[in-house]
Amino acid sequence: MTAASERLPAGAGRAVDPRRRTFWLLSLPSAIGLGLFLILPLLFMVALSFRNDLTGQLLAPFAPTIKQYAKVFGTGSYWNLLGISSLMAFGVATVATLAAYPLAYFLAFRAGKRAGLYLILLLVPFWTSYLLRVMAWRLMLDSSGVVNSVLIGLGLTADPLDLLYNRGAVVVTLIYVWIPFAMLPILAAMGRIDVRLHDAASDLYASPWQQLVRVTLPLSLPGIVAAFFMVFIPTVGEYVTPLLVGGTGGSMYGNIVQAFFVQAANWPLGAALSVIMLATTLLLVVIGLRIVQPRRLLAQ
Amino acid sequence: MHPRRSLSTTQAAFVLLIAVIVAACGGSGASLSPTAGATEPGATEAPPTEAATEVPPDQVTGDLTVLEWPGYETADFWTDFGGTYKNVNVSFQFGSTDADIYGHMVANPEQYDLFHQYTGWLQFDVDQGLAAEIDTSKLKNWDKVPDAFKKIGQINGKQYFVPWDWGFSSILYRTDKIPSVDSWAVLFDQQYKGHLSMWDDGPGAVTVSAYVHGYDEKNITDDQLASIKAEWTAQAKLNKTYWVAPADLESLMNSGDVWAGYAWQGSYAVTKGAGTPVAYANPKEGRNSWVGLYGISSKTKNMDLALRFLDQKLALKTNQNLVNLYYYGSARQDVMDGLNDPAQADAYGGAETQALLKDTFSIDDPNILQHTNFTPDLTDAQREAWTAMWTEVKASQ
Amino acid sequence: MTALRRAVGGRGLRGYYWLMLALLYLPIVLLFIFSINANTILSFPLKGFTLEWFQKLFQSPNLLGAVGRSVIVALAASAVATTLGTMVALLLSRFEFRGKGTLTSLAILPLLVPYFVLAVALLILFRVIGVPLGLPTIAIGHAVVALPYTTLIVLDRLLGFDKQLEEAAMDLGATYPSTLRLVLIPIAAPAIASAFITAFTVSFDEFALALFLAGKDPTFPVYLYGQLRFATTLPVLIAAAVLLMAASLALILLANRIRQR
Repeated sequence: MTAASERLPAGAGRAVDPRRRTFWLLSLPSAIGLGLFLILPLLFMVALSFRNDLTGQLLAPFAPTIKQYAKVFGTGSYWNLLGISSLMAFGVATVATLAAYPLAYFLAFRAGKRAGLYLILLLVPFWTSYLLRVMAWRLMLDSSGVVNSVLIGLGLTADPLDLLYNRGAVVVTLIYVWIPFAMLPILAAMGRIDVRLHDAASDLYASPWQQLVRVTLPLSLPGIVAAFFMVFIPTVGEYVTPLLVGGTGGSMYGNIVQAFFVQAANWPLGAALSVIMLATTLLLVVIGLRIVQPRRLLAQ
Repeated sequence: MHPRRSLSTTQAAFVLLIAVIVAACGGSGASLSPTAGATEPGATEAPPTEAATEVPPDQVTGDLTVLEWPGYETADFWTDFGGTYKNVNVSFQFGSTDADIYGHMVANPEQYDLFHQYTGWLQFDVDQGLAAEIDTSKLKNWDKVPDAFKKIGQINGKQYFVPWDWGFSSILYRTDKIPSVDSWAVLFDQQYKGHLSMWDDGPGAVTVSAYVHGYDEKNITDDQLASIKAEWTAQAKLNKTYWVAPADLESLMNSGDVWAGYAWQGSYAVTKGAGTPVAYANPKEGRNSWVGLYGISSKTKNMDLALRFLDQKLALKTNQNLVNLYYYGSARQDVMDGLNDPAQADAYGGAETQALLKDTFSIDDPNILQHTNFTPDLTDAQREAWTAMWTEVKASQ
Repeated sequence: MTALRRAVGGRGLRGYYWLMLALLYLPIVLLFIFSINANTILSFPLKGFTLEWFQKLFQSPNLLGAVGRSVIVALAASAVATTLGTMVALLLSRFEFRGKGTLTSLAILPLLVPYFVLAVALLILFRVIGVPLGLPTIAIGHAVVALPYTTLIVLDRLLGFDKQLEEAAMDLGATYPSTLRLVLIPIAAPAIASAFITAFTVSFDEFALALFLAGKDPTFPVYLYGQLRFATTLPVLIAAAVLLMAASLALILLANRIRQR
């Protein structure tokens, strides 16, 4: 994007630079909000990870120890699971973004006046409890559920298929859940594409396909990138869906973090695991952005 | 510039306005009201006769906060207190497991007046000074609780907890898929690969292994723990899923996905009541039994009110609800004895429910309780090691 | 290739949208079926039509209260998240300053943190600063969690917006705050509304933070979770969920109808 001049010309003739004031008005609440309710709690979490165990007063001073980190580094299965979770997150983000793109395209360019309505229709199911929706999902997919009954009835399979309680079920469910959300940044990006560019393209005898690849895709790329990372980042630490449909083999890293908080009352170890996950995800994102950045510049 | 609107502002504003109105009509912020429960209305037992100088119950005011398991805040479970002390505000906050409850107590002891903890975790509460000693002379219903239960709430010789609910853990299995189950080892049986379900709990897993191999639960050695871990890592391949809430297991049993699972007795009653062909095993190693107890926070400012709450927790209707509606055992002897008395069928929701309950608690077989193993309290080291073991089992899949 | 071209052209896309929508609503339809099924257990075959679950729903002040609380928390959290997100988006898109990268990372940071980790972290914070737990603390948690979404949505809109309009306004004598108010915000309004709705969606069904940071009374997801322990109340809960969704749908359709007049 071209960086328009941000500063007012020197001879603007105003006594006080109004943007300066606006700047502080905007940044102070942001700084306080983020500092107090995000940075500070996370610092507490990091501090917690150096604690020996969850005994005594929560706020009492304690002698820091690296015992928790030693435990994490010494347990191969945790790292393995972190790797698997990252891969799963990558897969989910990729597929969800790809599947969301045509939806965003439809809403941005083909839905016309009804676009707002169509958009909301996509989001309304999320105002139903996720727990209940997954419960219904499970009813459909379990061994005596609708899908299996139909398959067996049609003779396509003799025994019911194991559609649930495995890693695949987790991935599919996550993709399913993320598609409408992944669509939003893409839609926002498409929203600022001047439709006259499309008109110009077809005036120049470009086919719809060429129009997509040469005009829409590059211009909506920032939205695609945003969508990808928006899905990837939280999915690494996902734990609810694996709990509900993952079964024994579908655990993700988030589940073991949660286990230490909620099942073991070992908050310090849970905190250490979280810190490691945060660091890893950040690293992956930084690497990812490095890879993507050059293309973004080219697209502009 | 051609505007691309993803949503019209007026549209959005309208939606939100309606949402605010809906919220206002939906009721807000009121504490749970005991007299308007979702299922049975609370019938009041005659309030305990008060001495002349005491304030009559319906003029007692105050606030109580209970750290409870989700679901147990239902009015059915404190209907006597609610009906007697109409002007006391009871509110509930939640912990979803024993570890969670313990964690909340450590993190925030001033926030709660009472908390609900189960056997195995009681020692921690006492060691951390979280539980206050309970003056049982103030509990008029204390004599309804058998000595064996009273003892479970005693740590280091002092009464820190009041027992309330109890039950069994055993194997629930489908009789149409598995002819009979006589040992906990069925959970490791290759034959039933993909149709087994274990409870998602480390100490629970150690307990099962201890029963199967005859280990001493109080003295699991490192070697034993390592072999337990290997055993459950292998078992995971046979396991369909680990259940967290009983309803999960019940639904899996009903659908036929799971044929045998670690289960509490309530699941037996529920699945049987749903018409599924099930049985609740009496393994040769013996069933497991656990007790739920209430403690008073050592930081409470409402000791008197808390004691009254506990007293009413032991009142008749509350305990009948516990048994009839939710198929849990009650610490009151007379409520459990009544299951055997056909004349009292109505108090248990009818003859059919009474029979189901009798069956669930194996009232007819005195041998059961004799062979039942009770959950001992864990030490800190055990908790740390056993939960870590279980988490590693889950992580290595 | 021609099929693909045709698909991009029009009909296929519409079909794709409706297919996605159908898939999304499939579990909802199933839930609806069970909400009028005369059976406490969720299984086929169906046992007959009944409205008793809906009746019981309205006799259940605890459930209604929980829903009301969820709405209030979601509204508050969305308002905060949208306001803060818009502020951050403005800062990032319209100003140059050191620490721009840091601000971006901070705004995105909540995405990296699993909800219950943030819940525990906030629990410790509230203990330290002595704030009692309750609906406001849940709302704060939800606002933090929704912030990345609101920031990204508004930021994306602002980035693509031609700055010449602002400069033109200011050259014509408008102050910057007025420019913001009269030019930028209206143009960004759809994105802001979108951000608000997204934040609302995130907050309404959120469970982990609501459980950990809850004060006296539960929000709807927490209430639901509690009731799921005892499966006998399941149909009433499903009736509640179905009704909520139906109400939202009705509102949307109504709002749309009014807008079109």
